[in-house]
Amino acid sequence: MTEKNAAGPELACAKCQQALVLGKVKASYLGNSFEVDLLRCPGCGFVYVPEALALGKMLQVEQALEDK
Amino acid sequence: MSDRLLAVTESVCPVCLRTVAAQRVATGDDVYLHKRCPEHGAFKTIVWRGLETYFQWGERGSRAAAPPVTETPVERGCPHDCGICPEHRQHSCCVLLEVTQRCNLRCPVCFASAEREDSDPDIAEIEAWLRLLQRHGSPVNIQLSGGEPTVRDDLPEIVARCRMLGFDFVQLNTNGLRLAKEAGYAKQLADAGLDCVFLQFDGVSDGVYRRIRGANLLAVKKTAIMRCADAGLGVVLVPTLVPGVNVGEIGNILAFALARVPAVRAVHFQPVSYFGRYPAAPADRDRITLPEVMRELERQTDGMVQASDFAPGSAENAYCSFSGKFFVGGNGRLHAAAAPGGGCGDSSSGCGCGLPAADDAAQRARRVVAGQWAAEAAEAASPDTPGIGIASFEAFLANHRHSFSISGMAFQDAWNLDLERLRECFIHVVSPDRRVIPFCAYNLTSASGEPLYRRPHHECALA
Ligand code: SF4
Ligand code: SF4
Ligand SMILES: [Zn+2]
Repeated sequence: MTEKNAAGPELACAKCQQALVLGKVKASYLGNSFEVDLLRCPGCGFVYVPEALALGKMLQVEQALEDK
Repeated sequence: MSDRLLAVTESVCPVCLRTVAAQRVATGDDVYLHKRCPEHGAFKTIVWRGLETYFQWGERGSRAAAPPVTETPVERGCPHDCGICPEHRQHSCCVLLEVTQRCNLRCPVCFASAEREDSDPDIAEIEAWLRLLQRHGSPVNIQLSGGEPTVRDDLPEIVARCRMLGFDFVQLNTNGLRLAKEAGYAKQLADAGLDCVFLQFDGVSDGVYRRIRGANLLAVKKTAIMRCADAGLGVVLVPTLVPGVNVGEIGNILAFALARVPAVRAVHFQPVSYFGRYPAAPADRDRITLPEVMRELERQTDGMVQASDFAPGSAENAYCSFSGKFFVGGNGRLHAAAAPGGGCGDSSSGCGCGLPAADDAAQRARRVVAGQWAAEAAEAASPDTPGIGIASFEAFLANHRHSFSISGMAFQDAWNLDLERLRECFIHVVSPDRRVIPFCAYNLTSASGEPLYRRPHHECALA
């Protein structure tokens, strides 16, 4: 399932002022990696994690990994 | 049937509470505690129905460890010197703070005789308790208990105070009434730093609640669990098992819990024990022992859970508890996981939340959401579907097997008290006069209801 990025206006990296672009990101936690599509800064590599994701699915994944 | 002496230990006379010699004796497949008071005669109480597990549990051996700090001298002998005294053989793992003696229910089986009016210890006093525990060095889990702790409006502040003083695991023992009735309350407690809720949960029918708690409470329990789930608070269901009342619901309680994983993380069974006034000794048929609970678990789940999946708890005396770790498969069925290891909080023997102790640090870190993740660009190619894609998270979560614990602890009363067990008790209570007292000593009452330690708060001179 893919969630549409409904963010509307383009987001920019606070440090580099460059527009964030959608790209494949390898996110890892406690040695487990996941390939996800997130907004990244092409300049510094900063990855933008929407709050809803951080507090939602991503937190669930964290908890699941810690729970092992 | 011929009797067979299994072990010698000590106990108390249920009438006068003096320390007396006691023996564990097997009669057929059952183990009884025999004792005699020079003044009040002989007593015999069932303690373990099933010799095979009795010997298995004995094999674990003692995990005895001297407490790092003791505060009271050995004078009159166990169990009369608690505070902790140097004879004690285990550290504090969980410490109960009775933040009130008041309650919003009237339960016939309640430990705390739940007075309606009383003066609660104020926050400064609770902080003094916490500082006392800090002096004991080793980290302990805090259980906020009572009475019913949620009758205090400053409970979130108490939780926050525990966390502020460096106690990393705070659990709440509650009947769930306020959690259910007040939307936002669970969230308030979670925000204050509460980790987990031990919810009294005696069965899945209102009849059980009416008999044990004097009110229809099933709907309340369901709502409380839902609210905890929404607030991200882990829940452990805690049934008090009473023969003839809810022993037949063991399987249904487990099924109810499994349907609510991961909000519900564990079920912790507590066979009923007898405190307060009992002019006649409670009959053996009014007791269910731990091996019977394990057998009922096997029987009532048609073997999904096996009695052999269980082992003694972690650090307490082996005969105090049983514990099993499972994971929930995709079909919602339980599968046995690794045997529980040693250490405080590793089992959920009334302590901890079904999570290994090592995870506590991780749990703390959890509050810094996403801060622990590492990210790097994978490949330069743009995703096929425009938009944020988290399919891999979802796939992982769909296949993830949640862990689940089932455990039980047999609290002791004046009839079945075994001082060998009590000396290794790791669940302690801070008394109003600021002593640290093993739980089963703290709650002990003689047959006439005279307490060994517990005094109503208002009788104590508080600083
Ligand atoms: S229970 Fe422990 S602290 Fe209390 S008197 Fe016995 S050995 Fe001492
Ligand atoms: S003495 Fe009582 S409270 Fe302590 S571990 Fe044993 S059963 Fe539990
Ligand atoms: Zn006596």
